[in-house]
Parts: sequence; structure tokens; C-alpha cells
Amino acid sequence: MRRLFILFVVAGFGVIFAGLVAGYSERQTLSALATFYLTEVPADLGAANVVTGILISFRGFDTLGEVAVLFMVAASVGVILASEPGDKPHLMSAMGGKGQGPSELVRNGAEVVLPLIFLFGIYVIMNGHLSAGGGFQGGAVVASGVMLMMLAYPTGPLHHGFLSITETLAGVFYVCIGILGMVFAGGFLDSHILPLGDFGTLVSAGAIPLISILLGIKVGAELSVIIDRFRN
Amino acid sequence: MGVPISQILLTTGFLLVLIGFWGILRHRNILRIIIGFSLIDTGMHIVLVATGYITGGTAPIIDEALGIKEAATRTVDPIPAALVVTAIVIGFSVTAIMLSFAIRLHATRKTLSIDALTESKW
Amino acid sequence: MVDSLFQPLNIFLLGLGGGFLIPLLYKIAKPLPAVGFIIALLGMTVISGVCLWSVHHGGSTIEVLTAGSVPPFSINLRFGPWEGFFSVCVNVVAMLGAWHLWGRLHASYPALLLYLILTMGINGMVMTRDLFNQFVFLEIVSIGTYGLLGFERTPAALAASFKYIMATVLASSFFLLGAGLLYHVTGTLNIDDMIANRALIIGPIGVTALLLVLSCLVLELKPFPANGWGLDVYETANSGIAALVSVGVSAGVFFALFKLLPLFEDHLGMLALSGGITFLFSNLVGLRQTSVQRMLGYSSIAQMGLLTLALALLQQLGAEQALPLVVGGLFINHLIAKAGLFWLAGIVERREVDGWSDVAGNPVLLSILAVFVVAIAGLPPFPGFWAKWELVMQAAAGERYIWIAVILVGSLLEAAYMFRWFKQATRPLPGETKISPTPGRLVPVLVCAALLFAGGYAAASLAGAASLLLVAPLVVGVGLYMLDWLPGRAKCVLMLAAVLVVGWWIVRDIDGLRRLFAVLLLAGGLVIAFASLYRSDARGGFYPMMAILLLSIASLLRAATSLEFFFHWELITLSSYFLIAQRREAHPYVLQFLLFSLVSAFCLLAGFGIAATANGTTALAAFATAGPDAAPAFMLLAIGFLIKAGAVGVHVWLPGAYAEADDDLSAMLSAVISKVAVFGLFMVTYLAIRSQVGLEMAHVMGWIGLLTTIAGAVMALQQSDIKRMLGYSSMSQIGYIITAIALMSHLGWVTAFYLVANHLMVKGILFLAAAGVILATGTRLLDQTGGLARKMPLTFAAVVIALISMSGLPPLAGFGGKWLLLSAMTDRGWYGLAIVGVLATFIGFLYMFRLAYSIFLGPQKTAYEEVREAPWPLLVPQFVLILAIFVLSFFPKLLMDPVSAAIDPYFASTLVWQGMSLETIYGYWNPVPVMAFSVAAAVVLLALFLLIYRAGWGRSIPVSTSHFYGFYRLVFAPLVTPVANFVWDGVCSLTIGLAGLVRRIYTGNGQTYALQVLCYVIVLYLLGTLRLTAG
Repeated sequence: MRRLFILFVVAGFGVIFAGLVAGYSERQTLSALATFYLTEVPADLGAANVVTGILISFRGFDTLGEVAVLFMVAASVGVILASEPGDKPHLMSAMGGKGQGPSELVRNGAEVVLPLIFLFGIYVIMNGHLSAGGGFQGGAVVASGVMLMMLAYPTGPLHHGFLSITETLAGVFYVCIGILGMVFAGGFLDSHILPLGDFGTLVSAGAIPLISILLGIKVGAELSVIIDRFRN
Repeated sequence: MGVPISQILLTTGFLLVLIGFWGILRHRNILRIIIGFSLIDTGMHIVLVATGYITGGTAPIIDEALGIKEAATRTVDPIPAALVVTAIVIGFSVTAIMLSFAIRLHATRKTLSIDALTESKW
Repeated sequence: MVDSLFQPLNIFLLGLGGGFLIPLLYKIAKPLPAVGFIIALLGMTVISGVCLWSVHHGGSTIEVLTAGSVPPFSINLRFGPWEGFFSVCVNVVAMLGAWHLWGRLHASYPALLLYLILTMGINGMVMTRDLFNQFVFLEIVSIGTYGLLGFERTPAALAASFKYIMATVLASSFFLLGAGLLYHVTGTLNIDDMIANRALIIGPIGVTALLLVLSCLVLELKPFPANGWGLDVYETANSGIAALVSVGVSAGVFFALFKLLPLFEDHLGMLALSGGITFLFSNLVGLRQTSVQRMLGYSSIAQMGLLTLALALLQQLGAEQALPLVVGGLFINHLIAKAGLFWLAGIVERREVDGWSDVAGNPVLLSILAVFVVAIAGLPPFPGFWAKWELVMQAAAGERYIWIAVILVGSLLEAAYMFRWFKQATRPLPGETKISPTPGRLVPVLVCAALLFAGGYAAASLAGAASLLLVAPLVVGVGLYMLDWLPGRAKCVLMLAAVLVVGWWIVRDIDGLRRLFAVLLLAGGLVIAFASLYRSDARGGFYPMMAILLLSIASLLRAATSLEFFFHWELITLSSYFLIAQRREAHPYVLQFLLFSLVSAFCLLAGFGIAATANGTTALAAFATAGPDAAPAFMLLAIGFLIKAGAVGVHVWLPGAYAEADDDLSAMLSAVISKVAVFGLFMVTYLAIRSQVGLEMAHVMGWIGLLTTIAGAVMALQQSDIKRMLGYSSMSQIGYIITAIALMSHLGWVTAFYLVANHLMVKGILFLAAAGVILATGTRLLDQTGGLARKMPLTFAAVVIALISMSGLPPLAGFGGKWLLLSAMTDRGWYGLAIVGVLATFIGFLYMFRLAYSIFLGPQKTAYEEVREAPWPLLVPQFVLILAIFVLSFFPKLLMDPVSAAIDPYFASTLVWQGMSLETIYGYWNPVPVMAFSVAAAVVLLALFLLIYRAGWGRSIPVSTSHFYGFYRLVFAPLVTPVANFVWDGVCSLTIGLAGLVRRIYTGNGQTYALQVLCYVIVLYLLGTLRLTAG
């Protein structure tokens, strides 16, 4: 009975989605908004990667909100997983964390790959305004490196307090840059507070790379914190 | 000519969403339900990216292959891509929260079956 | 500089910056996060307040741009009057909520930052003008909620949170998909642009996208039946968090719906349907709840449904000008009252309704609870009352009668479970544990209560009704409440003085029939209220309520519009409810009293709505010239007043309330309060004059009146309890008055007023005398008293005079009244009614004689050797009333002339009035033959009854009165089978049974809930694409 009902509902959505696919015709031209971005982001903001330009500047408010979401998640996960005096042993056994050390492969692999991962992450973050990538993507790469590090060195050097301070400071600086935009440029999160520089070079596009770096740090730190919390 | 790329992507995305629905409705295990939600998210993201595709367009990044002048004519729509970046992060956040609730639930009641979560009803 | 400090964007800077800083502050010093939190939250509230102030006074909407660009390219925010209103409301409630939750919040800094960013997120949902940004803020709010829910560690709470997450994640995925697809079809994400280009939203993709966005918003508002996940959270979460979800998060989502509404113009019917069903069924299921928070959850969901319904309905009807009052009023009412109730639940810490009897010992908590419950039920003086009034008026103007019915039935159900809860809280149980929270804990709820009053005044101003006259009863009541620490008698004297002065001020310049009623009821009320001096105890809250009651009557009589009338009508209902509830023995009956009163009030509300549409104005004066369109309004209004008058069939609330109220209050209820319904009947019969249908309905009313008389008399005969007998007697006497009004003739109306005056005096005396007897003997049973005539001669004399006057024996006023009534009936040719009237009068004799005989004559019981005369405060009012009876009896013209003059203008141009002057009728009133006829009729009937008695009992002569009565009580017993009770009990249990059936859909299983959510989307999709509910 229930199964039939579920089938019916999924089929219903199938029909709705099929209607969407059938009614869809691939776009041939860009919307006026997209055209504006495609011309304005390189010309006015000086960023080669239009997506990053949009994300950090025009839709910077979204991005800030999204950072807030991540920030809240890091805090929430910490709260939810925080063990209480009573149930600590259960939690540990539930995680299967019975002192099994990392395998040889992981540890050795980590030594080789980790620097590369971090380097790549930093590259992606730094070149967010020029090529595919940006703060989020790079931050995620860095965090994946952190995860590997945690697997390889369970008792490793990762300092929780350091991560959370980094995260906090990056967030605060981000908001401050936004405010600087209000004071020195056209409005909140305006990236014109710094000179545009030469198009296509590392140091260009106003404050976009700066924000991108802050984002990268913040996302990397937040994801690491979340992963760290799950580990504990 | 064949089927347009975006059509294929749309179909794939929606199929993923449907599989996700099936997963959250059929599977009793909370972790599998969370996987179902991830599938739904991913499917939605694919659909969104697909809607930004312009026939014959390339990535909206200005480089040697794409001059500033051509940008407005030869690229795909950058906006869905920008939205999806945000959406991915949010999807990730939700998954993280759900997982942490799952862990907590397992710790308090030793089971991951959603059928056990019926203390409050009516 | 100041300008840049107080601008809406700073709300977000404070929220985010503060949030980001909190961990850092925690690293620096442990108490710092709390300080930062307070500064940020306070700052957000102040900024929103200042901005709203400047928008309100400067008039221009504040547009906030970001990224140094303009929309649609960059995200922009708007802070107009609506945004400002919602944002300030949410921030204030968030601040109070933080106070309530402080114990939990300041203990952990993640809670602080989650709470802060969540509040900011709600502000964002309200202000943003970008569709995708809307999604981001929705997610901020959702994630903040999930995080805060995670603080609760009970298995049930965790399970509920998980279900909540499942449902809301599904809903927001639909929003994401919808927003993306809407960009695809419109090429913009800016909401204003999208609205401007909504012609582009067509085809399968556009329509589906729109419906997906709509589904998300509707689902987030927890529509019935896809809302089990929300209820579980309301039940299990911490009260502060539940309050935040109920009012804060819902406010954000509702505002998103509000702002996107222009996009959904084709789907307004669907929205109204969704809201209406949610309102009705949530309240229905709420009836079965015993868990306080879950019950509040049902009420929350219902209120959001009502808001949605109101929004969609007003939009459909093109009544945008009513939006501020209706939507604003309903919103702020729900926001403050519901948040307050949740917090109160948290303070009291009793999860089950049954446990709330522990509150009974704490008057402060009880008063606050009363304020919130009254507000949630949509009763005056709170904003919900004004909003509901306007909503019904608009719906009536648009002829959406089904929606009026839905709104009123839903409100009734909600009031039922809310007041049942309140009743539980007023009922102290033995062995109670006293609840005494620290004053600090009470601050949020106290502020909420104060805000509700302020909101009520603001809503009244918006409705154009606020004036000193309107609020005078409440002001006096509140003033007296401040003096509630005085000794009882001092408060009584103060109350009498206040009512005298303010009452006179209220009625000083009214004229006509209203003036007569005002003088009669105010004077009668004061005389009877004087009797309260016989009690020396403090009676906390009694005298302020009494002042409100009496002054509301005065104000009601003065009302110029139906809104003012209805406002005071509800105040009278409420104050009598609280007065009756003062006596513990009355508790089984108060809920019944209130519910019947509310049914009556809702009939009036619907009737006034239709009348206002038919008359084109809410002015009561227009009733006199109403056309035939107003006939349905007449029916509803007449039903409403008949319920309140205790007509047969709907009288079941009456005996319990009259009998179990305090003894002096019973006198007031029967003598004075019942006359308010009579005044109402007077007023609405004008509506019926001008149409044939109306006159036929009036004839029906005449029969109802006489049936009430007979039923009341027969049931009075069956009673062995003095006060119950008097209660039924009241019902019986009011029946005569109803009939007299229904005559729709000049003579009939003069008679009716004459009967009103007579009954006021008579019943006042009898109930006060009963109070004296009960005080002296300690019993209310007729059989246990006897032979008190010698012990209580003054009381006895008063009772005899009152009975003579009531029974219609010459020469006192009752006789004149009855005679006039019979003349008027024969005049109209209503012979059947006239005969029934005579029979009723005779049954009246029987029970009245029994009353006097068993208490004062008959064998004296030894137990009452020491009985003394009643105290003077009881006797003085009785003798004042006797004096009035004498004046009325021997100088009838003193009353008749002004009454006649007052009524005449209304009938001067009617079809009914034949031009017969009063003099002609007085001409008929020749005492000798009339008296002879009456005595003869009485003798014949008595002989007849004795004959039947002999035949039936096989005895030669009645040896004692008790045998005689025993026989007749047996004979009449089949007549008084409580059919009405069976019917109403049946209705009740049917409703509750239905509620039990409906709530089985809430299985508690998360997957079922997810399934329901998905089904809901499919149903909305089908409704939306097939346009089943368009238009």
C-alpha cells in the first residue's frame, strides 16, 4: 500500500519533470543580465573569471550569506556533536574509533600528496579572479587536504583553536572590506576600494582577490572545523 | 544534431532527483536517507547548470581563447554557475547538519532506523 | 553620520559581524560574547526601529544597494513601511526571546551566534529584493533553526528535529529549482523586475517554476496536512526556540510570500484554499491536544493559515487598503501572543494541560495567560479582534460567505481549546505545587502583554474606532485593577462611584430607545451591584471586571456603528465570563457559557458583515432604513441575539451559568446582562421591517419566544435548586419579551420594553433574596428550607411582591405587561400564540408558588432556628427595586410615554404600524373586567389541573403541596428530556471524534511526513496547472 503510494508520488514528480524537460528548449542567446555581467565584469571590475566576479561583487551579499551559513554549520555541528559527560563512551563506540591507526599507505601517501594538495588549493584560491576556481573551490581543496592530514595523523598538529580563530578573523575582515566599500567606493562590498591593476595579472581586479583569499581561508578553516568535529 | 546537451543534463539531473526521492521515501536507514537528500541536491544543481547552457557556448572566463570582445557572444550564462556555487555550499551545510543529527540520534538510541523516531505524534 | 549609522544595512553588519566576532570574543574573555551579542541584537532592534520611524514620518522607502551597482545587476534590499513593521516586530520579539532563553544562550557561545545570525536572517528574508538572495536567507534561517534545535538533547527532540530538517530541506530544494527556472524564463533574479516581466512566466517551465517557489513558501508555513514535522518540533523543542520558529521564522516566510504575491496572482484561490483548510483543520485537531506546546503548535499553524487566507482573499477582492489592518493586525497579534504563550509555557514548565492547575495560585501568571488567550481567540481589545472584524467585513462585501464560515468556525474551535486550557489553569487542585517564577523571568511575557494592549489601541486607530469613549470601560477597569489590593468593600464603593460617574458621562447625550435602555440598565446595574457590599472578602479581580461589564453595557448602548457595538458586546461576554469563572463551582459551566457566547458573537459578526454590505455603511442608524437585502443579516443577527438571550434549544448554557455564578452576580446576569441581548433584538428587528421575508421570520421568532417561555417554565418547575429555578424562570420571562419584540408593532414594542423593566426589577429582587436565603441557611435546595417567613420577614415581603409582579397578577406591573402582550397578540391575529401564552403564564404560577411556599411557608425546619434576616446591603437594593415596581405599576405612563415616543419614529413609515395610538390601547385597559377575566381563567386552569391530578393519582384532595408538585413534575418530566443537551453533547463529541480521526495522519514517521510534503507539492501543481481554483 505504502509502497504503491510512494511509487505514485515519484511517478508524479517524474511526470512534472518530464514536462519540464519536454518544454525546455536550449537557449541560443544570453539574457540581458548575463550580457551585462560578461561585459562589465572584465571591463569594470577587471576580473577575468566572470563567475567569480559575479559571486564576489554583484552577488557578494549572497556570498556573505553563504559564508554565514557555513559558519553556522560549523558552530551547530560542534554543538550537536559535543559529547555530554554521560554518553561519551557510546559515541566513541558508535564511531568505531577503536584506536586503529592509519595504514602505512595513507601515511606515506599523505607525505607526498599533502603539500601538493595545499599548494593546489592555494593556487586555486589566488587565481580565483583569473581562472576557473575561487575561494570556495580552493577552500574545499585545502579542507580535503586537512582531512587527509587528519586521517594520516590522528593525533596530529591540527589545533582546533587556531582554526576557529582563523575562521573568525577571516569573517570579520570580510565584513570589514565590505564596510570599506561603503566608505571608499560605491557601496557595501564594492570591490573598487583597491586599484584595478593590469587585467589578467595576479594582483588585479580591485579587492576581488583579497576577498577571494579571505573566502578561501574562511571556507578552508570552516570545512576543516566541521571535519574535525565529525572526527571527534 | 541529436539531443541537445542541456536536454541530456536536465534529464540526468531530474533522474537523480527522482532517485533521491525514492531513496528518502523507501529506505529506513537515516544515512541512506541523507544520501537521498544529497542526490536530490546534486540533481538540482545539475539541472540549474544545464539551464545556463547556451548552444555552443564556452566557460565565461576571459583568457587567450576568449577575448573580452567576444565574451558576450560565445560564452554560456555565468549566472546559474554563480548560483550553483552558492547552492552547493548550502547543500553541503545541510548534509553536514543532517549527519551530525544522525550521529547524535544513533548515540542516544542505538539505531539508525527512521521508524524509531516516532515519539511525538498526533 | 547619524544617517549612515541608522540604516538598514547595518542590521546585517551587526548580525554577521557580531556573529563572526563571537568566537573571537570568547577566546579573549568568557563573558565578552554575551556583551557582544546584547550590543548587536539591541543595535539591530534600534536601527530597525529608527528606520521605521523615519520611513513612517519621512514617507520614503529606504533602498539599500550593494556592490556599488544597481538592481537588477546587484542584490538590493528594501526597507519600506511593511518591511520596517515586520522587521521591528521580529527584532523586538527576538530580543524578548533572548531574555527568556538567556539561561541557555549565555552558557554557550555557539547558541549566541546562531541566535544572532538567525535573527539577522529573518530580517534578510523580509528586506531582500532578490529571489536567490531570498533562498540564501531562507537557508540561513533554516540552518540557524536546526542548530538551535540541536541544543535539545532528549531523544524525542532530536527525532523531531530530524523530521523538521527533512521536510524543510525538501521545501527549500523546490525553491532553489523554482528560482533557477524563473531566472531561465525571465532573465532576471530581481523580484521587482520579475514582477514587471511576469508576462514572461508562461509555458510549462515558467508555470512549474512559479508553482515550485509557491510550494516551498506554503510548505514552510506548515500547511495542513503536510505539517506533522512542524508540530513535532513545536512539541519537543525548548519553549524559546519553539516561539522563535512559530513567530520569527514563520514571519520571515510569510513576508516572502507577501512580497512575491504579485507573481502568484493566478494562484490566489489556491492560496486561500490552503490557508483556509489549514486554519480549520489545525484548530479542529487542536481540540484533542493535551500537550501544551503541541497545542500551541496547532494554534500557530492555524494562525499562519488564517494570515495566508486573509492575504489571498483581500488580494482577490482588490481590498489592498484593508491589508495593513487585517494582515498587520493578525500578524502582530499572533506574533506577540503566541510568543508570549510559548514563553509562559516555558516559565510554568508543565508540559501537559492538566498540570496547569498549579498556576491557579499565582494571579500574575493567570492574568498574563488570560491576556494571551483572549488575544489569540481574536477578542477585544487586542489587534486580532480588529483584524478579524475587518476581514469578515471585506469577505462579506465580496460575498465570500464560505470563507466567513471557515474563519468563524475555525476561530470558535481555537477559542475552545485555548479557553479549556485557561479553565484548567484557573482550577486549583488539592496538593498543588505553587509556581512562583522570579520577576526577571516574567519580564518578556509582561512586555508582550503590554505590547498587545498597545497594539490593540493602534489597530483600533487604524480601524478608525479608537476614542476615549471606546476604551473608557477598559481604562476604568485597569485603574481599578491597580487598586485591587484594597479591602473588598472599599473596592465595591469605588467601583460604584466609577461606574456612576463614567457611566453617566458615556450615556449623557444619547436619546431615544437607547437612552431608556441606558438609564434602566445602568441604574438597575448600580442598584444590584450595590448588593455586593454584603460580602467582605477581597474578591480579587471581581470589581474591576464588574466595572468593565457595566460600563461596556453603557458604551454598547451608545454605539453608533456596528463595530463599536460588537466591540462592547465582546467585552460584555468576556467580562461576564471572567466574573462567572471567579466561583470555583462554576468551572464546569464557564466554558459552555463562553462557547455559546462566542457562537452568538460570531453570528453577529457575520450578520453585521452582511448588513454593512447591504446598507453600505456600518452605522447602526442605517438599520432603520435598510432595504430587503438585509434580510439574511437579520436572520444571523437574530440568531446571535437569541442564543445570548437563552432561547429554547440554545439555552443549555444558561442554567449552569446563572445558578453557579456568585449569588450577587447571578442577580446581575439575569436582571441586567440578559437585557443586552434584548436590546440587540430591538435593534435588528428594524432590518426585518421592510421585507416580507423579514416579517415571516419575525413570526417564527414569536413562536421561538413563546416556546422558550413554556420550556423555561416547565423546567423551572422541575428544579429543586433555588438558583436553577430562578435561572429557568429568567429564560421563561425573556421568552415573553422575545415574543413581544417579534410582534413588530408599536404596541408589541412598548410591551416589550415594559416587560424588560419589570423583569429587571423582579429578577433582581428574587436573586438577591435567594442570596440572602442561601447566606442564612447555607443551602440552595428548596426541600431543605421552609418556614423562613417569620425569620426573614423583609426578604419574604420582597419575594412576595416580586412574584406577584412576575406572575402577572394584578395589580402590579407584571399584570399590565401580560395584558398588553395578549392585546398586542390578538391585535396581530396571533391567536395560537395568545393561547400558548396563557398556558405558559399558568405554569409560571405553579413554580412561583412553589418557590415562595417551600422557602418561606410550610413546616419550619429545626436546623434553621437561629436564622437571621438578610444583611442590609442585600435588602436595600431589593426595596429600591420594589419601589420601582410600585412606580411602574401605578404610574405606567411615566414609562410608557417616553417609550412610545422613542419607538414611534421608527414605525411612522413602516408597513406594520396601523396608526393606532397608545391612548386607544389604554382605553381597553379597564381594570375590573380584565381582573375578573384573569381570575376566572386562573381558577379554571387550576381546577383543570386538580382534576387531572385526581384522575391520575387516585386521591380525593391534595394533602400537601409537595404531593401536588411531585405529580406534576412527573407529568412534565417527558417534556423536559434534555433534548437540547443531547444534541449539543452530540455535536461536541462528533467534533472531537472527527478531530481524533483527522489527527491520525500525524503518524510521527519522518518518511510519512516527507511523503505528505511531496504529495502537497503535487496537489498544488495540479491545482495550479489545471487552474481549478483560479479566480
